[in-house]
Amino acid sequence: MTRTDSPLVVGAVRSSPDSVLRVSNVVLGHGKAVVLRDIQLEILPGELWFFIGPNGSGKTTFLGAILGIHRITSGVITLAPELASRQMVGFVPQRCDAKATLPQTVREFVDLGLTRAGISAAERRENIAWALEMTGISDLAERDYWSVSGGQRQRALIARGLARRPSLLILDEPTSGLDIAAEESLVRLVVSLNRDLGITVVFVTHVLALALRHATHVALFHQGRITCGKRDGVLIPELLREAYGLDEQLLKRLSATSIQERELHDPRVHPVLGSLSQ
Amino acid sequence: MIQEFIQSWGLFHNSWLAGWLLAVLLSMTGVLVVAKDQIFLGAAVAEASTLGVALGMWLTSVGPFHGVEWMESDLFLSFLAGALSVAATLLTSHSGRWGRESTEAVTGWVFLAAASFAILLVSHSPHGTEDIHRLLSSSIIGSSSEEVTFLAIATFCVGCSLLCFRRRILLVLTDPDMAQASGVPARAWELFTCGLLGMTVGYSLRVSGMLYTFGCLVLPALSARSLSRTASGVFVAAPVLAILTTVVAFVLANHWDHPPGQMAVAALSCITAASFILRRLRKR
Repeated sequence: MTRTDSPLVVGAVRSSPDSVLRVSNVVLGHGKAVVLRDIQLEILPGELWFFIGPNGSGKTTFLGAILGIHRITSGVITLAPELASRQMVGFVPQRCDAKATLPQTVREFVDLGLTRAGISAAERRENIAWALEMTGISDLAERDYWSVSGGQRQRALIARGLARRPSLLILDEPTSGLDIAAEESLVRLVVSLNRDLGITVVFVTHVLALALRHATHVALFHQGRITCGKRDGVLIPELLREAYGLDEQLLKRLSATSIQERELHDPRVHPVLGSLSQ
Repeated sequence: MIQEFIQSWGLFHNSWLAGWLLAVLLSMTGVLVVAKDQIFLGAAVAEASTLGVALGMWLTSVGPFHGVEWMESDLFLSFLAGALSVAATLLTSHSGRWGRESTEAVTGWVFLAAASFAILLVSHSPHGTEDIHRLLSSSIIGSSSEEVTFLAIATFCVGCSLLCFRRRILLVLTDPDMAQASGVPARAWELFTCGLLGMTVGYSLRVSGMLYTFGCLVLPALSARSLSRTASGVFVAAPVLAILTTVVAFVLANHWDHPPGQMAVAALSCITAASFILRRLRKR
């Protein structure tokens, strides 16, 4: 593992008593196959992390380990004391795997995020109303969850993750399958949750441009390892080429999948991709 | 008509009570089957339960177990029926994890294997085939007061469990990863629901037979799903529909001298068809 707070500084791992999440020497695998090894990562309060990397690089597996869904082979994952029970961790899956087998209003769907929260009925109502308001779907509360649009459903997913008023919000490719406008709107929402409410965010995505635009920190998953640190230290052409195995032209096209294409390739906006464009 | 039904109470009250309690118990459990989107699972589990009864009969007809009194008891047959139901539920629920076979494929296999082996096991027994056919054709007549008491306790316990834990059960059944991330032990709750379904279906089959068990398991839940706007509403509407329909069905069956189990399932089928039409009209 490599952590870079400045470009290509190897192994500069912070160690703060305030960390929200600390991962030390973790090895992860499926059965005997090792997916990720020697992971070291520390996330501090208020940071906006983007986890990026090619398909099958272990991003979702790593999230599963943080959330307690996957067991780690070795190493230690330490959550801040208030997060240890995972009550204050909000999780937004890539898509809702729930099947449309039972009718469900948006409010009822968001309410599922408070399962095992151990709060009173009044607090429950208050939290749901707050989460719906934060995500801008209060007016959809009584609508059938299965009949709302894809973008609205993703917002409901985020509202479900927010219902516990988490201090750490983990989103696993929440923009997958959304059109560009819905994607942009959703990312703006997540960024505002981070900036305005101070919620620490971990955002997994394939869209490199989103990380370039919004991340404060990035973890780049490649070849069973993670390179992580401040955005501009990790999103450098050498590492991106190594991770994605692409030449510069293809890399530019990959980064151009977002609405901010032109801005990103302007060296005044982003020095890395801007330099690639020249 | 109602007067006639009241007059029949002295003779058939245990049967009516058992039928209603089964309808409530099975309809509540049936919501879990509908939530898992495995309607056919109910039929497969009921068949596996029949195989359990057939296995018990076969065991007492061969070599070392012949004439062993406790093995010929209803309790032992109910235990085997329940055990095979639970096994079938676990097998179908976990099929996706073990191999490439889909849940539907394994459910179909369980249904067909259980149905054929159940008949084969008892085919040379003098009363076996008749007993299995009786189980398959269903009859709620002849229930005992002990069965009614047991069913009342079971219905109360299952009702309380679903009332208290419906959110986490719903989350586990529909979104297990989210459940695990919320600190809900998804695997343990899945085992609990499998056990609940297996035992409920296993015992119900012994009391009422396959048609009534399968009918009360899925039809009220399907109707409730069509008529409710919320998942919580389905948990309430299913038993309410089941009890109302079976009360009317038993009164009609008594008046026209029809078998009450079949009458109840026919009435539930009509309610379900009506709910499908209502749902379609509402969507327009």
